[in-house]
Amino acid sequence: MLNGKNIYRPIKARLTDVIDESPLIKTFVLIPELEFSFMTGQFIELSVDGIGEAPFTPSSSPHITDKLEVTVMKTGYVTEIMHSLKPGAFMGIRGPFGRGYPVEKFYGKEVIILGGGCGLAPIRSLLYALEHVKDKLEKVVLCYGSKTPSDCVYKPLFTRLNKIEKFEAYRTVDKPDEDWDGSVGVVTTLLNKISINLKNSVAVVCGPPIMMKFGTIRFLEMGYKDDQIYLSMEKNMSCGLGKCGHCMMGEFFVCKDGPVFTYNELKNTPDIWK
Amino acid sequence: MQYLSIKKEEWDKTIEQLLLSYTIFAAEENEFGIDYEVVEPSNIGKISYNRAKPATSLKTFFLPVKENVTTDPSVTKQRIILGAPNCDLQGLKILDEIYLDKDFNDLFYRKRRENTILISIDCFEKQQHCHCTSYGIKPWSTDCADMTAILIEDLIILRLITPHGEDFIKQFSLVQALKDEKIIASIEKAQKTTESLLSETNKGLPDYKTTGRIVKEAGSDIWKKYSAHCVSCGACATICPTCSCFLLIDKPGFEKIKQLDACQYPGFERTAGGGDPLFELPERFRNRYMCKYAWKPEKFKSTACTGCGRCIEACIGKINKNELFMELVK
Repeated sequence: MLNGKNIYRPIKARLTDVIDESPLIKTFVLIPELEFSFMTGQFIELSVDGIGEAPFTPSSSPHITDKLEVTVMKTGYVTEIMHSLKPGAFMGIRGPFGRGYPVEKFYGKEVIILGGGCGLAPIRSLLYALEHVKDKLEKVVLCYGSKTPSDCVYKPLFTRLNKIEKFEAYRTVDKPDEDWDGSVGVVTTLLNKISINLKNSVAVVCGPPIMMKFGTIRFLEMGYKDDQIYLSMEKNMSCGLGKCGHCMMGEFFVCKDGPVFTYNELKNTPDIWK
Repeated sequence: MQYLSIKKEEWDKTIEQLLLSYTIFAAEENEFGIDYEVVEPSNIGKISYNRAKPATSLKTFFLPVKENVTTDPSVTKQRIILGAPNCDLQGLKILDEIYLDKDFNDLFYRKRRENTILISIDCFEKQQHCHCTSYGIKPWSTDCADMTAILIEDLIILRLITPHGEDFIKQFSLVQALKDEKIIASIEKAQKTTESLLSETNKGLPDYKTTGRIVKEAGSDIWKKYSAHCVSCGACATICPTCSCFLLIDKPGFEKIKQLDACQYPGFERTAGGGDPLFELPERFRNRYMCKYAWKPEKFKSTACTGCGRCIEACIGKINKNELFMELVK
């Protein structure tokens, strides 16, 4: 049993700060009442008391254990109520669940990360984890796309990443505004701008399903092998325990067997991009 | 396997005594057929033996429709369930794999399993849609239950299966070792007769593995055809001995209510981002068969359809999955 306790019972966490990231996205800073840690890419079930819970991958560093940050897009009933919460409120946390990014397998390699929209939340946690072990990596490249410049979360992150040795970060938008002087186009176009040592590289894709699909296709076209591509799948993870069935994708329970899979593991599973 | 016997009259008295320390559920015949009832002194005589499956599947005793899973599981009186058919007992195996897995052990399910003595029956008859033998399951149990109770004339014959069953029976002094080989032979004959009847009436129905293959290979037309009468009521999943999907509902105080769910309900896999792989009815309909015959066999050792046939009986659209499989296998 998880921590030797009831697997369904959440632990309480105090909301200490709410950061506005974009018109629809906020980051919640939480201090759990009990000891809590996670591995990057694992997810939690975050609940509003008496309302409901939803799965999120923490966006903070897995090496910080006294608090965690969760970035939430307002997209439905539960997240709308989450967005109305103020510091001082208590939320519920269950987890961490599933299999995260196998950071140790990335040692000695280039890590090329393709992110879209709110998919940057789990990627930020991964970037923190990779920064922690940067001496063991060749390089880390982030290619990120959002619909508009204002939809981009963690704007200071890009400046910061570009100052870290071995790290590069690029952005593109679908629809630029007057102040935008960066790339315009789908996120995969950013991959044309970077140099990659294909044989010594892994690709990480995280974002909306359509972006995951075309990102994976692009990496395959570039010559990446199926087991060099890591996907963070979004399904309706509900219990987190491999029991409730809501996130079943072929033979996999995404909550327990994933959410991070290699494309090699999923390539024969139907409807993975739905 | 060890056989014991006790006079039916004495067995009924024993059950009455057991009511002092156990809650007993038993299969009984009612106006609609056979189903589990709470045993009281007044209805002990109505307990049915040697009959085919009860209307309700055994899972109901271990996975209630709704329960608060954030409280401490209450310690209740020990339970005896009398009348479980082998199809349901085999169905418990996959529930055990899911709910008692080493990573996340469901305390509520485990307590109920530990708190229950299972007494099975041998099916000496079949119902219209029973097809356990097509999936390699016998209409009598040799595992999963603690013992089996069989009625032969004025005797109850007990076939001991587990050490737990052996310990349980030690408290009954009137139970004797069965020495009459003729009775054992008559039981075996009745078992084989049912088995042959099941095989004969389900002739041509593909086995479990073949069903997995044909379901995987099936084109979309067959799912459209058979789902045309589906109203997404979820009766098939509710009554199934192995369907165990659930929903967690939040209540104030960070409490969680676990409620049985079904992949046949719209929105079952809907995500916050708007994706819904099972939005279309034929996809949702297909999902249940893919889950049972193609995906679960990849993940679990136990079978995810035990051929009880309840989903066929319960369907208000009169959808018969076996007709679908027969059409696919042509």
